[in-house]
Amino acid sequence: MLAGWAANGNIIMMEQMPIFGGYCGGVEETAICDTATHIASFAFLGANYHLDGPIHIRWGNTTSRETMQIAAHTAAAMDQNTDLLIANQYYPVAGPCTEMCLLETATQAISDTASGRELLSGSAAAKGVAMDKTTGMEARMMGEASKAAAGMAIEEVNPIIEALVSGYEKDYAKAPSGKRFQECYDVLSVKPKEEYLAVYESVVQKLRDLGLDIRN
Amino acid sequence: MAVQRPLTVCDVYDRFLKGEKMSESDWDYKIIPTNAAELKNKYKLDFGKNIVPEDKDMANRLFQAGMEMLVTTGFYNCDMKRVAKFTEEEIWEGIKKTPTSLVLGEYRDAVKFEPRRGNSSKKPVIQGGPTGAPVSEDVFVQVMQSYAQEAIVDTLVNGVMSTIEGRPATTNTPWEIKATMAELRALKEARVRANRPYMAI
Repeated sequence: MLAGWAANGNIIMMEQMPIFGGYCGGVEETAICDTATHIASFAFLGANYHLDGPIHIRWGNTTSRETMQIAAHTAAAMDQNTDLLIANQYYPVAGPCTEMCLLETATQAISDTASGRELLSGSAAAKGVAMDKTTGMEARMMGEASKAAAGMAIEEVNPIIEALVSGYEKDYAKAPSGKRFQECYDVLSVKPKEEYLAVYESVVQKLRDLGLDIRN
Repeated sequence: MAVQRPLTVCDVYDRFLKGEKMSESDWDYKIIPTNAAELKNKYKLDFGKNIVPEDKDMANRLFQAGMEMLVTTGFYNCDMKRVAKFTEEEIWEGIKKTPTSLVLGEYRDAVKFEPRRGNSSKKPVIQGGPTGAPVSEDVFVQVMQSYAQEAIVDTLVNGVMSTIEGRPATTNTPWEIKATMAELRALKEARVRANRPYMAI
């Protein structure tokens, strides 16, 4: 397939999701493997951009402290040494129409943006395994948090990330599974319902209180 | 030593054909953890508490460790059960050949995909979608439209249509192909409904 795409001039995205707590080991060892596979994707597998997604072996999310640390350090390593185009993807534990889901998504968006990623892809809420538990509202959160974090000093960003992740990481085992798309939106008009807009507004206010300049 | 040319997919395939034979379990349980741990020590990598690195020197050491991991350990092909090795010169030549600026989408819906270099004030490209999560056939268009209509979203990434004509999209069956084609049609319909017909998918 790669040979065909290359000959056809297609834009080739190469995806790889290192598992934290798996064969690689701890955060530093996993980041070494993550960096090596980023480089390999471009150097001899023909990628035009790379989609990362360090994932936690216990919780199945990309929004954990450890997996964000792996992604952010790998991104900074690639960013400081190349001009290659790098992306990350989103697997929060909680599902749509919950504050936890939007807070997880915003936290990773801030981390990915501050560490120099060029593209954010998501979000597969509820770990990306539950039927119809993904909606455009999570992407709105991802994008708006990213836009607000872009340009901030890293020293300002880290305390915000710390406050957010320490707020939700204790709840992984009892994370709300959220609502299905059909419950979050009017399916005919494809408009989000008042309930989800209120949840979104509440999370935006929490992010503003922490110093993130999210505008409506 | 100067390289002959950047490696092509065919060159890489040939390199794997001549690569060292190795079992997947040896690669996973011995080679990767042993070499990664050695390089962590060699390059004195300790991330501490910060999620985003503030120490630029450590990020550079991580890059060097990743490069050395790739050059000395090689790359494993699970299907062929072989390890191919590449020189650092070959790797840099491949990096040099990679475009560093792309355009995703067309016409008024196109977006520039370019290096940000640190935490630039330019926001990343926002690719909205379920990222492979399962979506019911009867709401697939509406789910994708919910992303395409968001102002902050620049491009789309699709979910997985779980059934087609009510049948499971089982791997390695014709239903899988039928579902994939239906997914593509649904994505195109979703972006038209959002008045962004040339958005990248």
